[in-house]
Amino acid sequence: MLAILVGILGDLELAEEAAAEAFAVAAERWPRDGEPANPAGWLVTTARNRAIDQLRRRQVLAAKTMLLARDLEAGPEPPEALMDDTAAIPDERLELIFTCCHPALALEAQVALTLRTLGGLSTEEIALAFLVPFETMSKRLTRARHKIRDARIPFAVPPDHQLPDRLAAVLAVVYLIFSQGWGGGRVDLAAEAVHLGRALAGLMPDEPEVLALLALMLLHDARRAARLRDGQVVRLDDQDRTLWDTGQIDQGRALLQRAMTRGRTGPYLLQAAIADLYLQEPRDWQQIAALYAALARQTGSPVIEMNRAVAVAEIDGPEAGLAILDRLDLHDYRYFHSTRADLLRRAGRPSEAHHAYRRALDLAQTEPEQRFLQDRLDETTPSDPGQPSRAGT
Amino acid sequence: MQYALLAYSPPEDTDRATRPIPAALAAQLDRPDVTGWARLHAEESATTLRHHDDGRMLLTDGPFIDSKEYLGGLFLVEADNLDGALAIAEALLQETRPGTAIEVRPVLDGRFRGA
Repeated sequence: MLAILVGILGDLELAEEAAAEAFAVAAERWPRDGEPANPAGWLVTTARNRAIDQLRRRQVLAAKTMLLARDLEAGPEPPEALMDDTAAIPDERLELIFTCCHPALALEAQVALTLRTLGGLSTEEIALAFLVPFETMSKRLTRARHKIRDARIPFAVPPDHQLPDRLAAVLAVVYLIFSQGWGGGRVDLAAEAVHLGRALAGLMPDEPEVLALLALMLLHDARRAARLRDGQVVRLDDQDRTLWDTGQIDQGRALLQRAMTRGRTGPYLLQAAIADLYLQEPRDWQQIAALYAALARQTGSPVIEMNRAVAVAEIDGPEAGLAILDRLDLHDYRYFHSTRADLLRRAGRPSEAHHAYRRALDLAQTEPEQRFLQDRLDETTPSDPGQPSRAGT
Repeated sequence: MQYALLAYSPPEDTDRATRPIPAALAAQLDRPDVTGWARLHAEESATTLRHHDDGRMLLTDGPFIDSKEYLGGLFLVEADNLDGALAIAEALLQETRPGTAIEVRPVLDGRFRGA
């Protein structure tokens, strides 16, 4: 509904205000007069009328009122007509997400705006999810909306020559939301991201990277129930597979297949293929390592190189993995230290492992991660001489 | 000889869009020797475009943060929206010396006439 209103009104802030007003009117009127035949149409029409009132009140926006008035004159659409036919309301969520993820907005603003306008999260929930004060998040959103209005960031799907770059920005925002939710924080951002991914796949069913991103998120998210036990992160190999959502895994695999038939091999396709390989037993580490190598070449990302190191450690032993890690500059990344710690432990270097777990714990952001790392830390606590180590028991 | 006069505003001055130009200032703007002027949207509406290492352009949200660079020129362009303005800025930046940056700022109101 918000997307439709932004499409009609061309102003995000105004659309949000109008939508809120329409819902307030509905809350008052529907219980009294009964729900209208087409609630969505009713809400849009009411919000549009409220917005026109609002615009008329604001003399400074005279130009916009003219535009709106012209629209109304051109299509002398009585509100009833709109209420009769939901199909007549254009779906403008795609335009909206491209506006929210415009590169002229800071990444953190893109993420917040996407969650607020497309995900429908409250400012408070977004603030909570990203561990910033409410005021900070509120300012961030207001500033972004003002920039969209003042700098006139277009409300449109980008032209073909810009689409690959701009689509990559949109996918990056959705995946960032998913990754933030993956740590087991208090707001269910992973579910939000999957929801956004489904909407995108519905809107752009022919874009392989859109399908692949949804596949990737579904394959990861299918293990959600098994990933936490008693509020603690459970390693993949220790997970209870009966808790995996096989329906969601099948959906993810079907999407991955569809994406692969489109020919292009983008970064999300590679990651989805890797996620699929991780779910299979026995694990094909050779193929996983090869896909990570391809992905590292495409993205130049040290995090991908770190993941390749894990696969290489499975093939050639932990020291071979550690040799790759030693070349990476990822010292502020929490998973780097936990990954390194695990390889050090397996390489029989417990005191170095202990030190690395300590670093990881210092950087951990969610309680489940902290508990998991605290346990690993306790396992690798250097023991008294002569005492058997607790590690590996 | 033409001169460019650059006006700097204090950071708390962010509500300029809602404030009319004071009458005394408007009278100055109407002087025949003022050949053009533009009032810009506040700094938070800015987008900055720079050369990037890999030959591509780097887009960042916000104004150009002055360090040792100096203001070397200005362009006034007409575009439907920010994407149009950025495309022109990119074409211009393409032909400027390495290390140049262009800050794109929407014009609030103004008047221009030929030199």
